[in-house]
Amino acid sequence: MNRALRAEGASLREALHAEWTKLRTVPSTGWLLLTVIALTVGASALAAEVVKCPASCGEDTTKLSLTGILLGQAAVAVLAVLVISSEYSSGMIRITLTALPRRSTALAAKAIVLTGVVLAAGAMATAWSLVAGRYILPGNGFTGKLGSEALSLGAGPTLRAAAGSVLYLALIALFSLGLATALRDSGASIAVMLGLLYIVPLLTDLGTLDPRWEHRLQEWGPMTAGLAIQATRNLKTLPIGPWPGLGVLAAWAAAALLAGALVLRLRDA
Amino acid sequence: MTATGTTTPYRSGLQPGRDSFAQLLHAEWTKFRTVRGWVVAIIAAAALAALATVALAAAADGTHNPGAHPTVAIGPGGEAVTDNFYLVHQPLTGNGSITVRLTGLTDTEQQPGRQPNRTINVPTVQPWAKAGIIIKDGTRPGSAYAAIMATPSHGVRLQYNYTHDAAGVPGAVSAASPRWLRLTRSGDTITGYDSADGTHWTKVGAATLTGLPETTQAGLFAASPAALMSIQGFASNNGAPVSTQATGAFDHVSLRGDWPGPAWRGDQVGSAGGTKSHCNGPPGSTCISPGDQGEPGAVTKSGGTFTVAGSGDIAPYVPITDPLGLTFKGTLVGLIAVIALGGLFITAEYRRGLIRTTLTASPRRGRVLVAKAIVIGAVTFTAGLIGAAVALPTAEQKLRSGGWVASAYPVWSLFSGHGLQIVVGTAGLLAAAAVLALAAGAVLRRSAGAIAAVVVLIILPLILATVLPMAPAQWLLRLTPAAGFGLQQGTAQYAQVTHACLPYNGCYPLAPWNGFAVMCAWVVAGLGVAIYLLRRRDA
Repeated sequence: MNRALRAEGASLREALHAEWTKLRTVPSTGWLLLTVIALTVGASALAAEVVKCPASCGEDTTKLSLTGILLGQAAVAVLAVLVISSEYSSGMIRITLTALPRRSTALAAKAIVLTGVVLAAGAMATAWSLVAGRYILPGNGFTGKLGSEALSLGAGPTLRAAAGSVLYLALIALFSLGLATALRDSGASIAVMLGLLYIVPLLTDLGTLDPRWEHRLQEWGPMTAGLAIQATRNLKTLPIGPWPGLGVLAAWAAAALLAGALVLRLRDA
Repeated sequence: MTATGTTTPYRSGLQPGRDSFAQLLHAEWTKFRTVRGWVVAIIAAAALAALATVALAAAADGTHNPGAHPTVAIGPGGEAVTDNFYLVHQPLTGNGSITVRLTGLTDTEQQPGRQPNRTINVPTVQPWAKAGIIIKDGTRPGSAYAAIMATPSHGVRLQYNYTHDAAGVPGAVSAASPRWLRLTRSGDTITGYDSADGTHWTKVGAATLTGLPETTQAGLFAASPAALMSIQGFASNNGAPVSTQATGAFDHVSLRGDWPGPAWRGDQVGSAGGTKSHCNGPPGSTCISPGDQGEPGAVTKSGGTFTVAGSGDIAPYVPITDPLGLTFKGTLVGLIAVIALGGLFITAEYRRGLIRTTLTASPRRGRVLVAKAIVIGAVTFTAGLIGAAVALPTAEQKLRSGGWVASAYPVWSLFSGHGLQIVVGTAGLLAAAAVLALAAGAVLRRSAGAIAAVVVLIILPLILATVLPMAPAQWLLRLTPAAGFGLQQGTAQYAQVTHACLPYNGCYPLAPWNGFAVMCAWVVAGLGVAIYLLRRRDA
C-alpha cells in the first residue's frame, strides 16, 4: 500500500520533515534569524558600551550584556507569527491540513521545528552578546574593583542567565506561535504579542502605581517575569525568582498554544 | 452574405475624469471606511487607550506617596511655589530703594561625603543659585516679592512673584567684576536696575505687585537649589539630594526712604532642614526636590561687608514625579493598535493584490501614498483627540481623589495651555505613529515585520530609557521617535528652575514640541523612503 495513502495520516516524523522543509525554503526565515542575532548582539554591545563604571558601578554585568534580548525577541516573535499566519494569508494552510489532517500534529510539528531554529539562533545571539560584554566591559571600568562586578563567563549565575535567555527566546517563539494560531492574522498577532511584552514593564515602571499592583503586574507580565532569569545580582529584590519567572512565561506560552490548538481544531481553516 | 461593416471601438459612456487628489483621498477614505474590522479597531483603540489612562490614574497611589502631597507654599497666583532662602532684612515703609554692590557669588555642596560606588551626576555649581536684594511682603513663604540677583550661569536676573524672570547684565560676578544692584519701590511698582560701576545704571525691568502693603521687608538674600544626584541604571533607579549653599558678598549697602528699623536681622524664610519627598525607586528611597533646602543659612557682617549664605530657592515648585504624564502611558495600548492599523492599511493591499488596481487607477504612486498617509493620519488623529479629551478630565479627577493634591499637581483645563498640549499631543503622537507604520508597511510589504519594526522603534526606547544610565537614556529620548512622548508630560517646566530630568520619572530631555518634531522627522524620512521604493519597485 502506498505510504501516502495510509488512512491514519502522516506521522509526526513526516510532519516535522514537511515543516522543516517549509521553514528552510522560505527566504524570510534566514533573514529573520540573522536579524535576531544581529539585533541582540548589536544592542547588547551598545548597552555595554554606554555604561561606565565610575558612574554606575553597581550594574549587573551579566544582565547588562544580555540587554539585546529586549530587541531580539521582537524578531523572534515576527518569525514565529509568520510560521503560521503566512499559511493563512497564502491559503497554504488548507494544503497543510489536507496533508496532515491531525491538526494538533501539524501544530506540534511547527512548534518543534520553530523551537529548534530559535534555540540555535538564540544560543548564538546570547553567546556573542556575552563575549562582546566580556571584551567591552573591562574597558569601561568593570574590573571587579570599586564595587563593580567583572563579567565572568564561567560563573554559575552567568551560565544560568545565558541558558535562561536562550530558553526565554524559545518560549517567546512558542507564545507567539500559539497566539498567531488562535488569531490567524499576522498584523493582529504581532501587535497583541508585542503589546503584552512591552507595555507591562512600562506600566510597572511608572512609580505612581499602588505597589501591590506593580508587584503583581511584574509577576504576571510575560517579559518582566521571564527576564528575571537574566538577573545575577540582588536576587532578593526581584519581584519573582529567575526560574519561577521563566515558569510564568512558559505558562503564558502553554496557554497560548492550547488556545491555538483548540481554535485550529474547532474552526474551519 | 455581406461583409460586416467597420466595427466601432468601444467607448465608455463615462466622462473622462481628472485624477484629482481629492478623488484619491476619497478612494482611500472609502477603502478605510468599508473594512468593518478597521473601523471597529480604531474606535476600540481610542476607547482602550482612554480606559487604560483612567485606570492608571485610578491605580496611582497618592495616599501612601509623600510626593503626592508635599508641603509647598502657595504663591500670589495660587500656584505651588518653593520659598526657602536666607534673608537679611529690615522693614521699609512706603516708597524707597536699596542699592548694593555684589563682589562675589560662590556655590558649594553641603554634603561632600558621598558613597563611593554610586552614580554621581551633580553639577558642581547650581546654575540658578542666587544672591541679591529683595523687597517682599513679609517673611511668610509664598508672599509676593520682587528681587534682583546675580546667578552663576545666567547673569543678573530680575524675578518677581515666582514665575516671572527677566535677564539683566550677563556674566559671572567676581571681586574684579562686581555687580551693582538696585531695587526701587514706588507704590505697587518695583523697578530693578543693574550697573557694573555704580554710576551708569540700566533698568532691567519693573514688577507690579498689586496689593503690596505699606510696610515691606527688604534686604539681602541668598539661595541655592539642591542638586539631584541621579542614580539610574540596571542596578537601581533613584535620585538622591545634595544640598548646596550659595554665598554672596555684599558691600556699599545704601538705603533711601523710610527704614524705621530695627537694624539688619537674619532669618530663614521657609522650613529649615529640608523637606524630603518620595522619589521613584527601591522602597525607602527618598529624594529632594530642587527647591528644597539643606542647612539653614547665615549672615556675617564685618565693617560694611555682609556675607550671606543660604540654600533653597525662590521659584515655582516643580514636582519630581509626574503622575498625569505617567498616567497617559495608557495611550500605549491604543498606540500599538494604531501602529497595526497603519501598517495594515497598505500591507493588506499587497496581500490581496489590490495594490495593482490602486496603482492602475492612479499611476502617480507618490500621490497614492500621500493620500493614504493623510487618511490614516486624520482618522487616527480624530480618534485620539476624542479619546484623550475624554480621558484627561476623568484621569485628573481620579488623581485628585487618589490623594495627589491640586496645589502641587494643578488641574489643567482641556482648552488651554498644558491640557490642550496633552490632548492635541496625544492625538498627534498616535497619528504620527500610524503614518510611520504606513511607511514601514510600504517599504517591507509584510504586516508582521512592519508593525514589529515600528513598535520597537517607538516603544522600546521608553523601556531602555528606564534601565540605561541617565546620559544614554536621554540620548535615546532625543533621537528616537519616542521623543514625541514628551508632549504628554503633565507638569509645567520653567526655564528658571533646573529640573532633574530623570527619564525614569517620565521626564523628556527635549522641549515637548521639539520632541514631536523629532518624531515627525522620522515620519517624513520614512515616507520619503517609502515613496522612493514604491516608485522604483514593481508592485
